[in-house]
Amino acid sequence: MRALLLACAALSVLTTFGVVAALVGETAAFFADPAVTFGEFFTSTRWTPLFADKSFGILPLLSGTFLVTAIALAVGVPLGLASAVYLSEFAPPGRRRRVTGLLELLAGVPTVVLGYFALLFVTPLLQRVIPGLNLFNALSAGLVMGFMILPTVSSISTDAMQAVPSSLRQAAYGLGATKVQLIFRVVLPAALSGIVASVVLAMSRAVGETMIVSLAAGQRPLFTFDARETIATMTSFIVQAATGDQPAGSLASRSLYAVAATLFAITLLLNLASQLVVRRYRERYE
Amino acid sequence: MLDLGGVEARRRRRRVRAFEAAVFVPVLLALALLATLFFDVITDSFSWQVIAPHNSGRSFAFAEGFAFHRTWENVVRLELLAQGRTPEEVDALLADPEARRLFAARNRVELMPWVDGLPLRWLVTSSRDDHVADLPLFEGVGRRRELLASAEPGQVVLLNAWLDWSFFLKNASRSPAMAGLLPALVGSLMLIALVILLAVPLGVGTAVYLEEYAGDTPFSRLVELNLSNLAGVPSVVYGILGLSVFVRLLGLGPVILAGALTLTLLVVPVVVVAAREAIRSVPDSLRQAAYGLGATRSQVVFRVVLPGAVSGITTGVILAVARALGETAPLLVIGAAAFVPRPPAGPLSPFTAIPIQVYNWVSENDVEFTHVASAAIVVLLLVLGVLYSLAFYLRRRYESRW
Repeated sequence: MRALLLACAALSVLTTFGVVAALVGETAAFFADPAVTFGEFFTSTRWTPLFADKSFGILPLLSGTFLVTAIALAVGVPLGLASAVYLSEFAPPGRRRRVTGLLELLAGVPTVVLGYFALLFVTPLLQRVIPGLNLFNALSAGLVMGFMILPTVSSISTDAMQAVPSSLRQAAYGLGATKVQLIFRVVLPAALSGIVASVVLAMSRAVGETMIVSLAAGQRPLFTFDARETIATMTSFIVQAATGDQPAGSLASRSLYAVAATLFAITLLLNLASQLVVRRYRERYE
Repeated sequence: MLDLGGVEARRRRRRVRAFEAAVFVPVLLALALLATLFFDVITDSFSWQVIAPHNSGRSFAFAEGFAFHRTWENVVRLELLAQGRTPEEVDALLADPEARRLFAARNRVELMPWVDGLPLRWLVTSSRDDHVADLPLFEGVGRRRELLASAEPGQVVLLNAWLDWSFFLKNASRSPAMAGLLPALVGSLMLIALVILLAVPLGVGTAVYLEEYAGDTPFSRLVELNLSNLAGVPSVVYGILGLSVFVRLLGLGPVILAGALTLTLLVVPVVVVAAREAIRSVPDSLRQAAYGLGATRSQVVFRVVLPGAVSGITTGVILAVARALGETAPLLVIGAAAFVPRPPAGPLSPFTAIPIQVYNWVSENDVEFTHVASAAIVVLLLVLGVLYSLAFYLRRRYESRW
């Protein structure tokens, strides 16, 4: 019995091992190819592995990912934090539970549906306001992605604020603080580690999000920070390369693994950072 | 300074109320976006169409023609018999691959709304209705009179509900009017069934091991570290793992089983987290009582802990299923087929799933295909809505359990 259960638990270790092994093997083969150099990979601004004239500079994919993520955070973090303040400090318990349930529903909308919404509802709407907005653009993908990460920010931050002990609140009220002062000078600072962790986690989700960008942001690797442009992200390139028929073992197919390894490394660092923040800076209340 | 009930206190109360309103706005925005999304998808699944019908061929009642994935043969047989061929001739034609191919190239089997009486009918036709125009729901309402006036003789203006019963029964097609969800629906059901079969024992097993057996060993800490990091790995990376290991290394190819194994790895952490929480909430007094009665550890686990944790575990499994149902990227990466004409026959068939169909239909860049995509999205969201309500309900019931 024990051995069987241990085997189940070992699966998660095996999965991580499998991911790393799959990525490292092909990525090493990618860099071993004479057509590819480390320097070019990290500094060149041309990414054309699927064309005849191949060039392997990952910067356009990084800039695309950064652009969409930045927009998503600019939308999702303030809105998510404000919702958390409302849910934790103002909403009566019944309403908090109902609204949290609805936000979970928003978090549960498949991202392919959000991509559809970004491409066919948000983009046409924005095109009326913003001249020169491409049909596929970073802006609407980022905006919708902001609403995708909002529930993540909101739910983790709400939990962090709820964990602030009521003795601190009572003490602040006793000193004559208003509710607004209480929130800004007691609750938010005390919950800061949870809030930072929620933001880092949201960032990692935005970096790894695939379907919204594949559908709404386009598949053109362009080194730009103009949100109206059609761009490609690391994730959308992975989908593009995997759905086109690249023979296994070709350089184009290996470039997919190199991009995935970069993506994996970035999200892993972000996740570790968020865990570190929680562990290092968590205020402990007895 | 202390001026309760005075001007200062009123000012302070006003500021708090203004702040409350300000932080309530984002909540409203998020809920409004959710409502807009539902509204947009539902209205997109209707459109006004101007159609020039070609009424060729005979009609057969729905029940007469439907035979799951042998429907095409069945309806063609009915049509040929009705044309006056003998059963032997029909059998010969259907058995001859070349004759079949020729017939299929010239004729199509379509599921159409029945004009009078029954809701659906089958039709073998060599020509398709011409779709002259396609207008969104509200634009069509506004321009209805104009549409009716400009329709030429023989053309029909109708409100097309893309999500009707036939949508669930039609196979994939290059033509939007004939494209249906059947292969994707069967594919998704098979995927989910396999994921449940694999992820529940693995996830619950891991949770039981960590909570009831392991204690604080280096191995259990390694497992926990892995679980928390795996939850943050982008789903598209799981697709690459599936592509390398299941599709290529094990040589499964891009089949349902490979997709299910990939999704299983993706959702196991969800099941583990929920199951651990549920197991932890079973009070220790129950375990001690069972041990006191002379139960062995596995008897305690199977007769006391797991029955006590079942509703929490079920909630976790429902959430895992919801996650697996909507996942698109990993399935695209392992190579879910772009075009699957018929429902998959078993776990080793190439497959498509509902979210993959949505992606492909949106990528068609054709206004009629967007209606088909939104019809599929409505189905997907309805199923997910039911699953999330179920999880919400179960969680509330089980919160008040002990």
